[in-house]
Amino acid sequence: MKTNIIEQLKASYHGVVTDLKDPKKNAKRSRKAKEFSLTFIRSILLIGLCFVILFPTIQQILMALRAPSDVNNPAVIWIPENWSIMNIKIASIVLDYRHAVFNSFKLSAISMILQMASTALAGYAFSRLKFKGSNILFILVILTIVIPPQALSLAQYLYFRGLGLIGKEGSIYLMSGLGMGIRSGIFIYIFRSFFKGLPKELEESAMIDGAGVFRTFWSVMLPNARGALVTVGLFAFVWQWNDAYYVKIFEVSTQQFPLLTMRLINAAENMYAALFYTGGLNLIGQDVWENPVFLALISNVSALLMMLPLLIMYLFVQKQFVESIERTGIVG
Amino acid sequence: MQETKKTPKLPIKLPEMSYKQQKLFWAIIFLLPWAVGILLLFLVPFIESLRYSFFDLTPQAGEIVKEFIGFENYRYALNTHVTSISSFRVELLTTTTDVLINLPVLLIFSLFIAVLLNMKFKGRAIVRAIFFVPVILNSAAVVSAVGGGEAINAILEQQGIDRIFDLEFYLLQTGMAPFLITFIVGLIERIYDILALAGVPILLFLASIQSIPKHLYEAAKIEGATAYEMFWLITLPNVTPHIITVTVYALVDTFLTSSVSTIISDELNQQNWGLSSAMAWIYVAVIILILIVLGAFAKLLKIGESHYEN
Repeated sequence: MKTNIIEQLKASYHGVVTDLKDPKKNAKRSRKAKEFSLTFIRSILLIGLCFVILFPTIQQILMALRAPSDVNNPAVIWIPENWSIMNIKIASIVLDYRHAVFNSFKLSAISMILQMASTALAGYAFSRLKFKGSNILFILVILTIVIPPQALSLAQYLYFRGLGLIGKEGSIYLMSGLGMGIRSGIFIYIFRSFFKGLPKELEESAMIDGAGVFRTFWSVMLPNARGALVTVGLFAFVWQWNDAYYVKIFEVSTQQFPLLTMRLINAAENMYAALFYTGGLNLIGQDVWENPVFLALISNVSALLMMLPLLIMYLFVQKQFVESIERTGIVG
Repeated sequence: MQETKKTPKLPIKLPEMSYKQQKLFWAIIFLLPWAVGILLLFLVPFIESLRYSFFDLTPQAGEIVKEFIGFENYRYALNTHVTSISSFRVELLTTTTDVLINLPVLLIFSLFIAVLLNMKFKGRAIVRAIFFVPVILNSAAVVSAVGGGEAINAILEQQGIDRIFDLEFYLLQTGMAPFLITFIVGLIERIYDILALAGVPILLFLASIQSIPKHLYEAAKIEGATAYEMFWLITLPNVTPHIITVTVYALVDTFLTSSVSTIISDELNQQNWGLSSAMAWIYVAVIILILIVLGAFAKLLKIGESHYEN
C-alpha cells in the first residue's frame, strides 16, 4: 500500500513536471497570467481614479437626499436618516427647471450644429484645400484660440448692440455660425488635425472616381472623421450649456427665456432672495430656511441638477466612440 | 449644416476648372463663414483692444476720455500692479511654471487613460461616463454654486468626514521623513487637479485612437506583434499629430481658468479698460511665446507630423 501511494505521488509529480515543460501549455499559461494581471492592474487603477472623481459628488448627492430638517444633524454622516426629495424639489423650483432645461437645450443644440458646420468646413479648408497664404490665415485661428474673451468682449458688445441683438439668442447663434463661438478656434484645430491624418489615397481615389471637391469632402472625408465630429459636437454642446460668460454679456437669459447657468449663478449669489421670489419658502418651515447651511445645500443641489442632463446625454453619446469605419481597399 | 445642405447642387456649373482651381474655389467657399466672422467679430475688437492698451481711458458723463500714455499701462501691470492678495506679475509667473510642470504629466497621463478606456472590459460605458464628469464640473456656474457651499464644508469638517482617512497623520505615524510626506500628500492632491484638467485631453486622444485604421492592428497581429509593440509602433505614431492639439488646448485652458484671467476680468469690471487690455496683451504674448518654443521643440523632434506623407 505504502509503495503504491508513493508511486502514485511520483506519477502525479511527473505529470506536473511534463506538463510544466510542455511549451504549448506554457505559452497558454503565460498568456493567461499576463491577461489576468493586466485586467487586475487596470481595474484597480480605474476604480481608484473613478473614486477620486466621484467622491465629492457622492457626498453631495447623499446630502441632497436628506430631509431639510436634518441638514446639520450631527448624527447623520453618510446615509440620510430620513430620505427625502424635498431639497431637489426646492432646487428645481428655484432654477425654474423645466423651462430652463428646455431653453438651455435649444440654445446648446442649435449653436452646436452651427459650430460643427462652420468649424468643420474651415478645418477641412486649412488641411486639405491648401492655397497660397492659407498658413498665414491659420495664424489668425491660433490667435483666436489664444486671446482671452475678456479682451474682445467690450467691443463685441458694442457691435451687437448696434445690430440690436443684445438680449436675444440670435447673438449666440451668429457667433457660432461665423466660427467665433466658444472656443471655435480649438474646434477648427481639432478638425484640421483629424483631416490631416487621413491618407491621401482616400482623396485621390475619390478624385479618380470622378467626385468633385465637395463630394469628396461630404461623402468620403467627413464620414472618416467621425471621431472629430463626435468630439467637437460633444464639447460644443457641453461648453455652450455651461457657458456663463457670453450669455451674461449678451444678456441672453431673461425672465421669459431662463437659462440654467444664469439661474444658478443668480440663485447662488443670494439664495434667500431666490427662494423668496420663487415661493420655495412656503414648502419648508422657518427654522429650516433660517439655517445658512440649508441655503448652501440648495445651491449645491441646483448645481447637481444642472449637470444631470449632460451626464445622461453622455451615456448615450459615448457609444459613438467606437472603432473607425473600415477603409477597405487602402493599405495605408 | 445650413451652408452645407445648399451646396451639393449649385446652379453654377464648373466644367472648365481644373482640379486645382476647383480646390481653390471650394476653399474660398468653405472659409467664407469663418472669414466673415474674423472680419466682423474678431479683427475689429482685436485692433481696438490693442489700441486701448496704449491709452488711459476714463469714463466721463456719457463719453470716454482717451489719453495716449504709451507703454505706461504695460509698465504699471508688470511693476506696480497689486491686488489684495497677490500681484499680476506673481500670478503670471506661477501660472506659467505650473503649466510647464503639469503639461508633460497631463499628456502622458491622458494618453495612458485613453488607451485604457479604449480596451474592451465590463462596465466600460460607466467608467467613460465617470471620466467625463470633470469636463462637466469645469464650469463657472457650478464652481460658484458649489463654492457657496463653504458652510457645508464647515459642517463636514466638524463631523470629521472631510477626508475619509487622514493620509498625512497616518504617514507621520509610520515614521517617514516629513519632506517625503509633504511630497506624497501634494502628489495625491495633484491627482485630482490633473484628473480635472485631463477630461478633455482624454476624449481627444480617445477619438484619435478610434480613427486609427483597424487593418493596421490586424496585420500586426498576424505578424505576431505584442500589444506593447503595437502601442509604440501603431498607436503612438498615429496619435502624435493630436498631441499638439492637446498641448494647445491644455495651455490655453489653464491660462483661461487661472487667477491671471480673473485679474484681467476684475480690472475690466472696475473700468480700468486700458490696464485690462494691456494685461490681456501680456498674457497673449506669454502664451504665444510658450507655443513658439514648444513648436520649435516639436519640429526638432519631428513630433506632430502626419506619417502619411502629404
